[in-house]
Amino acid sequence: MRRLLALSSLLLLLSLLLAWWQASRAPQPVALTPVLTGETEYCLTCHADLPEISPSHPVDVFGCVICHGGERLALDPDLAHSTLRGGANPSDLSVVEASCGGGNCHSGSEAAGRDHIQRVMTSVQSTYTGAIASIRFTFGAQPDLQAYLGIRAVTDEQTQTGIVSLQAFDPAAETHPMIQKFGENCLTCHLWAEPRPGQAYARSTGCAACHSPLLHLPSGEGWGEGKIHTLTTAIPYTQCNTCHNRGNYNLRTMTFDERSDQPTTRLQDYYQPIAQFVRCEWTLDCVDCHTRTEAMGDGDLHPDQASIQYVQCKTCHGTPTELPRTKTLTDPEDLAFKLAFLNPVIDLKLGDTILVTETGEPLWNIRLIPSPAGGGAGGEGILFEMYGKATRQYFTFRPVMGSGCTQSGEDQSSSYCHQCHAVERHAHP
Amino acid sequence: MPTLSRRDFLKLLTNGLLTLSGLLGLGAILRFLGYVPETRPRSEFDLGPADRYPVGSRTPILSIPALLIHDESGFRALSLVCTHLGCTVEQQAEGFACPCHGSRFDADGNVTHGPAGAPLRSLRVEVNEAGNVIVYLE
Repeated sequence: MRRLLALSSLLLLLSLLLAWWQASRAPQPVALTPVLTGETEYCLTCHADLPEISPSHPVDVFGCVICHGGERLALDPDLAHSTLRGGANPSDLSVVEASCGGGNCHSGSEAAGRDHIQRVMTSVQSTYTGAIASIRFTFGAQPDLQAYLGIRAVTDEQTQTGIVSLQAFDPAAETHPMIQKFGENCLTCHLWAEPRPGQAYARSTGCAACHSPLLHLPSGEGWGEGKIHTLTTAIPYTQCNTCHNRGNYNLRTMTFDERSDQPTTRLQDYYQPIAQFVRCEWTLDCVDCHTRTEAMGDGDLHPDQASIQYVQCKTCHGTPTELPRTKTLTDPEDLAFKLAFLNPVIDLKLGDTILVTETGEPLWNIRLIPSPAGGGAGGEGILFEMYGKATRQYFTFRPVMGSGCTQSGEDQSSSYCHQCHAVERHAHP
Repeated sequence: MPTLSRRDFLKLLTNGLLTLSGLLGLGAILRFLGYVPETRPRSEFDLGPADRYPVGSRTPILSIPALLIHDESGFRALSLVCTHLGCTVEQQAEGFACPCHGSRFDADGNVTHGPAGAPLRSLRVEVNEAGNVIVYLE
C-alpha cells in the first residue's frame, strides 16, 4: 500500500514538474480587447512588431481576429493559426466575404457604397472572361465572342450589361489541346490565382493583390521578399506591373514569355508591349488616371477589359473643341472627399472644382486652379493641378482647347496621340 | 557514524516525495483558487476635485475617452468614441473628426459628415459628496 502511495506521489510530482516546465516555456500573453469585438485576443503576444495595417483599421478597434480569424486565445502558434482565413491573406477571394465583408464593412448595397466585394467578384480582373472567350472562340470551342465562362461561376442578378451569369471555365473539360494549354499556362493573372513564381510576379491574391503593395528595395535590387502588413489606395504602378508588365502570352505555343530585359529606369520599366509613351504614361502611376470602377469593376459582368476601361486622353485633357468635364464640390458627402480622405495627397475643400470622367467618376486628385482672371471659354487661362496618388508628385497641365494642338477629338487611340507627344526610349538590350 | 539502512532510506525517500507532492499539489490548488479573471472594463471614472475644471472649460479625458464640459448649466461629458466603428475622435476647431473613416461631429457631438450615423454619446456626470467629478460610461 505504502509502495503504491509512493509511486502515485512520484507520478504526481512528475506531472506537476511537467506542467510547470510547459507553463514556463509559454510566452507571457499580451492581451488586446478590440472595441469592435470586445473579445480578448492574444495575437500581439507574437505579432506586436507588425505595423498597423492602415489608419482606417486601427488595431485597438479592429484587433486581428475579426479579419484574420484564428484561435484568439491560443499561445501555441500551430493552434493559433489553425483556423486562419486564407492563410496569411484574409482578402483571398475564397474567404473575403467572411473577412473584409464581415459586418457589412465591404459587402453590401451599391447605394451605401459597400459593394466592394461584389464589384470585384464580377470584374474582369476576377472573371478573366474576355481572354477565355477569345481563346475558346479562336479554337472553335464556342461560336462567338460572347462571355459564357469565367474563372469561377458568378451571377449578376441586376445586370446592366445583359450578362446575367458566367459558368466556371474548366480546362480539363475542353477537347482542344491549345485551350487545355491555355488553361495550364495562361491563368495566373487574375485575382483568384496565385502568381507565377519569381520576384517580378510576387503579389497576393484577392484585394491584397492591389491594395497591399510589396516593399520596393531602394537599392535597385528589385522586389524583395516584400510582403508588408499594409492596405492602401496609394497603389504604385509597380504593383500593377506584377500582372500587366511582366511579359507576353505567346499565342502560337500558348505559353507565357517572360521579359528577358532588366529595366533600370522608369521609362524602360513601364508597360513593355508598346514602344512609345507620352509623359503621363511613364511619369504617373496607373491609378492616377484609371478609376476605381475600371480597376475593381462596377458590379456588372462585362465581356472583356475594353468594355469597362474607358478613360482616355481627353478625359483629362479635353479636345480642341471641348474642355474636360469638371464638377464643383458642393456636397460634403461627395465621394471625392471620401477618396481624398483615404489617400490624403490633396486637401480638397467645398467649392473646389475637380475633373470627372465621362461617367461622372471623380478624378479627385486633379483640381482646377482658380485663375484671378477666370478661365476663358476658349480654354485660355485654364490650369489644372494634379497630385500623384502614390508618389505625391505635383503637376500642372493645361487643356488641349486653346492650345496649338490640331488633333481630331474623335480619335483617342494611343498611337494617334503618340504621333506628337511620344517620348522615344532606347531599345531594350 | 550511524549508517542509514536501505529500509530507512526508502522510507525517507517516500516520505520526502509525499511531502513534496503534497506541497506542490497544495500550491497548485492555491494558484487555481487564487486565479483572478480579467477585470471588467471600468465604467466609472473619478476625475478629481470639481474645481479643477472651471466654468467654460472643455477638458479631454483620454483614459475614458471623453470630453468633460463645464458650462453655465453644469458638468456634462461627451464620449470621444466614434459611433461608426469605435475609433477615438480628435478634437478640432469646429468639433470632432474621426481619423479612421472621416466622420465629423460638431462641438455638441452631432454628426456633420458620415459615415457615422449617430451623434457622440452623452455620458452621465455627477459631483459626489467629496466634491469629485465622476463620469459614468453606463
